[in-house]
Amino acid sequence: MTLVVMVGLSIAFLLFIAFLNVVKSGNVLSEANLLYAALVFYAGAGALYLGFGVTGTESYIKFASLATWAGLIANTAAVAHRWYEAGHPPFASLYEMLLSFVWTLAALTLVAEKKYGVKVIGTVTMPVAIVGVVLMQLLRSEVRPLVPALQSTWLHVHVTLAMLAYAACALSFALAMMFLIQDKMKTESFLVGTSIFTVGIYAAVLSRFEGMGGFNVIAWDVENRSEVFLAKNVRLFVTIPDLGWLMLLVFAAVAAPLTLYILARVRSNEGFLAIANRAVFVSILLQSLALVFFILRVREGRYPSLDAEGLYPTSLAASPFILAGLVGGIFANLLYLLLLWRREDLERLLPDSDNLDRITYKTICIAFPLLTLMIAAGAYWANRAWGSYWNWDPKETWAAITWLVYAGYLHMRITRGWRGRRAAYFAILGFGVVMFTFFGVTYLLNGLHSYA
Amino acid sequence: MALSLHSAARTVWKTFGSIKTGVVLIILVVIFSAAGTVILQRPMTDPDDMARAYSPAMLRFLDVTKLTDVYHAPWFVALMILVSFSIIAASVERFPNAWRYFARPYKSPDEGFRKVLPVQAHVKITDEEQGLGAAECAFRKMHLKSERIVRPDRFSLFAERNRISEMAVYIVHASLLLIFLGGIIDALYGWRGFLMLSPGTAGNQIELKTGNARTLPFAIRCDGAGEETYNDGTPKKYWSKLAVVDNGQEVSRKEIVVNDPLVYQGVRFYQASYGRTGKLDSITLEVSPKDKPGAAQQITLSPNQIVSLDADTKVQLAEFIPDYTVQDGHVYARSNDVVNPAVHLIVTSAKELKAINVWFPEIPGVAENASSPYNFQPKDLKTAVFTGLEVSHEPGQWAVWAGVVLMAIGLTFVFYVVHVRYWVVPVQDAGGNLALWIGGSANRNRDAFEQSFKRYVEEVEKELKSKFVEAAEKPAASLPKTTAGR
Repeated sequence: MTLVVMVGLSIAFLLFIAFLNVVKSGNVLSEANLLYAALVFYAGAGALYLGFGVTGTESYIKFASLATWAGLIANTAAVAHRWYEAGHPPFASLYEMLLSFVWTLAALTLVAEKKYGVKVIGTVTMPVAIVGVVLMQLLRSEVRPLVPALQSTWLHVHVTLAMLAYAACALSFALAMMFLIQDKMKTESFLVGTSIFTVGIYAAVLSRFEGMGGFNVIAWDVENRSEVFLAKNVRLFVTIPDLGWLMLLVFAAVAAPLTLYILARVRSNEGFLAIANRAVFVSILLQSLALVFFILRVREGRYPSLDAEGLYPTSLAASPFILAGLVGGIFANLLYLLLLWRREDLERLLPDSDNLDRITYKTICIAFPLLTLMIAAGAYWANRAWGSYWNWDPKETWAAITWLVYAGYLHMRITRGWRGRRAAYFAILGFGVVMFTFFGVTYLLNGLHSYA
Repeated sequence: MALSLHSAARTVWKTFGSIKTGVVLIILVVIFSAAGTVILQRPMTDPDDMARAYSPAMLRFLDVTKLTDVYHAPWFVALMILVSFSIIAASVERFPNAWRYFARPYKSPDEGFRKVLPVQAHVKITDEEQGLGAAECAFRKMHLKSERIVRPDRFSLFAERNRISEMAVYIVHASLLLIFLGGIIDALYGWRGFLMLSPGTAGNQIELKTGNARTLPFAIRCDGAGEETYNDGTPKKYWSKLAVVDNGQEVSRKEIVVNDPLVYQGVRFYQASYGRTGKLDSITLEVSPKDKPGAAQQITLSPNQIVSLDADTKVQLAEFIPDYTVQDGHVYARSNDVVNPAVHLIVTSAKELKAINVWFPEIPGVAENASSPYNFQPKDLKTAVFTGLEVSHEPGQWAVWAGVVLMAIGLTFVFYVVHVRYWVVPVQDAGGNLALWIGGSANRNRDAFEQSFKRYVEEVEKELKSKFVEAAEKPAASLPKTTAGR
C-alpha cells in the first residue's frame, strides 16, 4: 500500500507542477499539458506494475489499471486536441503517428485486461507507451500543413490501418511474452533475451564512438529547430568528449550477464547464473548513470565537430533514437528483474498457457488482415500519387517483409500445427520486424516514404 | 526410363508443393528484398554516391551479381516465379481433397467417426421421431437449416453453415497469383516515363525510365501550371492544366494535382514536379532617353523580341543568363537556376548603324551601357516554368486490384467465417435405451464453437421436455409408440 500512496503522491506532485505551468501559460488544455498528463499517468501505471514486481502486492495491479485509464483519457484528449488544431487526423508526421500508436496501444491493453483477463499485460505495454511519449516530447511537434502528396483520403485509411495493425502486433508480442512466462520457460532464457537486446542497443550506440573516448551526436540548429545538415542527407556530428568511455563501460556491464550465462552453460556451473542476476542489477544502475550523463551532456553545452570549425550546440531532439534506446534498455532489464522476483505471482495472475497461446493467435488473426489492407491501401494511394502501385521503396519492402513473416507464422501454425513456444518466438520476431519497419526504416534507410 | 522421368517430375512437384519449400522460399524472398533496402540501388542512387559508398572491387561484385538492382535482377524474378510455382503446386496438391470435402459433405457419420469426434453429447429420448423433431426445432432456433438423411434403418439429421470457408485458403492463394499476374503483365507490357512541358507547349515524346523514348499516338498540351504555398513557405498545391490532343482535336481537358492524375487511353499523367526552367519568359524595363530624362516608358520584352523605342532606335532581348559568371572577358552560364541572372540587350540605331551591347548588371569589359542613347531600368523578371509529368501505363493493375479485393474476401473467410457442422443420430446403447447422439465440428475457433454446441444441446433438451409435456397432455393416440415417461 505504501507504494500506491507514494505513486499517488508523486502523480499529485507532478500534476501540481503541471498546474503551476498551466497557471503560468494560462492555457489548461494545451496539447503539451494533456500529453504530459498522459505521460504522468502511464508512468504511474508502469511504476505500479513494477511495484507489484518488487512487493508482490496484487492490489497495485488494480491501481495500475486505473492509472492506465486516466492516461488513456488524457491521451484521447491530446489526440482530439491535435485533430482539432490540425484539421486532419493525427497521422501526418512521426510525432502524430506515435500519438495515435500510443493511444491504440493503451486502449488495446485495457481491452486485453478486461476482455481476456490478462491482468499484467501492462508490464510490457506500459513501458512501450512511456518510451513512445518520451520520444514524442523530442520530435518536432508543431502542426504543419499537409504537403501535396499527403492531401488524400487514402492517407487516413492507410495510416489508421497501419496503427491498428501495429498495435495489434505489439499486443501479440506482449501476449507471447506472457505465454513464455506461463509456459515455464526458464528464467535464464529471458536473461539471454534481454541481454542480447540490451547488448544490441549499446552496440548500436557505440557505432557513434569516436577515438579517445568521444561520442558523436548530431548537431542541432536551435533557431530552425532542426538537425544541422552539411549537404543533402549529410548531417553534422559533434563530438562530446569522454561520454564514449562511459558508453563503453556500460556496454561491458550489459555484456557481463550474457558472458556469465555462457560461462554457466560451458562450465555447467549454476553458480555463475546467480552472479549473472546480480550483474543485471549492476548493469541497470550503470545504464541509469549513462542515461543521466547522456541527458545532462546533450542538453547543455556546445561541442567541437570533426567536419567543421567552431563549436555547435546539440539537443536531445537531435538524438531521439539513442535516448529511446537507452530508456528501452533499462525497461527491458527492469522487466527481467520483475520476472526474476515475482515469477510465481505472475503465473498465478495470468490466464493459463493454452489460453494465452490462443489469444496470441487471435491477435495475429486480427493483425494480419489489417496489415494486408494497410499495404493494399498504401499501394492504391501510391498508384495515385507516385504513378505506380509498387515502387520497391524501403518502407514498402519492409511492410511486405512484415507481411511475409506473419504469413509464415500462419502457415506453420495452421498446416504444421505449430503451437506454444515456437509460435510465441514467431510472434516476437514479427513484432521486431514491425518496429524496424516503423522506426528503423525511417531513420536508417532513405526513400520516397519520407514523411514517417 | 519414362517412368523414372515421370517419377522425377512427380518428386519435383511434391517438393514444390510442400510447406517446407514454401517457407524456405518465403525466407529467401525476405532476405533478398531486405538486402535491396540496405544496398544502394541503381538507378535511383547517383553513380557518384555509389562510387563513394563502395570500393571499386565491391561495386563490381555488386554489379555483376545484380545486387545493385535486386528487384529487377533475373535471379529475383526467377525466385518470384518459383514462389508462384510453389503456391500453385501446394494448392493443386491439396485442392482435390478440399474440393471433395466441399462438394460432397460428410452427412452421415458412421460408428467409427462417432466414437472419435471430440465434440459430442448424448441426450436421452423415448421416441426416435420425437427426438429428431426436437433436434430440428432446436436447429431452427439457431438459424440452421437441417436436412434429414435417410439411413438404411432410420433417419438422421445434418446441418451446416458456411461451407465456403473450406475454400477460403484457395481464394487467398488465387488472389496472390492474380496480383503476381498483374505484376508480370506490367513488367512485360507496362512502362513508366517522364514528360516535361512548359505552359503553352504540347508534347508526345515520353522519356522512359529505361532511357529510351516513346512516342504517344496523341499529344498532351499544357495550358498552365503553378504552385501554391502555405504562409510558412511549405508547398500546398502543384497544379497543371492539361489537354489531350488526338488527331489535331482536343478530346479531353483536366486540371491535375498531386494525387489526382489525368487518364487517357490507359496512360496516366501524374503531377510529379514543378519548377523554373531557367529560361526567360519576359522582362519589364523602364526606358528613358538620356537627353530627355523625363520621358520614361515601360516596355516588356520576350527573348529575341525587338521593340522600337523611337523612329530609328530599336532594342532586342539577345540573351538571358540565369546564373552568370565571367571568364576571360566572356559571360558564361554556371547553372540553370535563376540565382544570379544577367540580361543582354542589343540597342541598334538606324542613324549610327551600330549595335550597342547593354548588360544588366553592367559587366565590365562586355557592357557598353554608357554609349547607349537610352537608360534601362529592369523592373520585373518573369522566368518560364515547367511542369514535370510522370507518365505510366500499367495494363496489369486491374488484375492487381482484383487480386486485392479477392484477398480481402478470402482473408475474411479464412479468419472470421467458420464452417460449422452438426450431426444428430438416434442410437441405442448397450442397455437398449434410446438416445440422440449429437456431434459437432468447426474448422476454426473451436472454443467459441464448443459454447454454441453446448447451447444447442441444451436447446434440444428443452424442446424434448416441452414435447414431452405436449405428449402427456394429448391422448396417446397421436403418438402411439410413446411409453410412459420415466
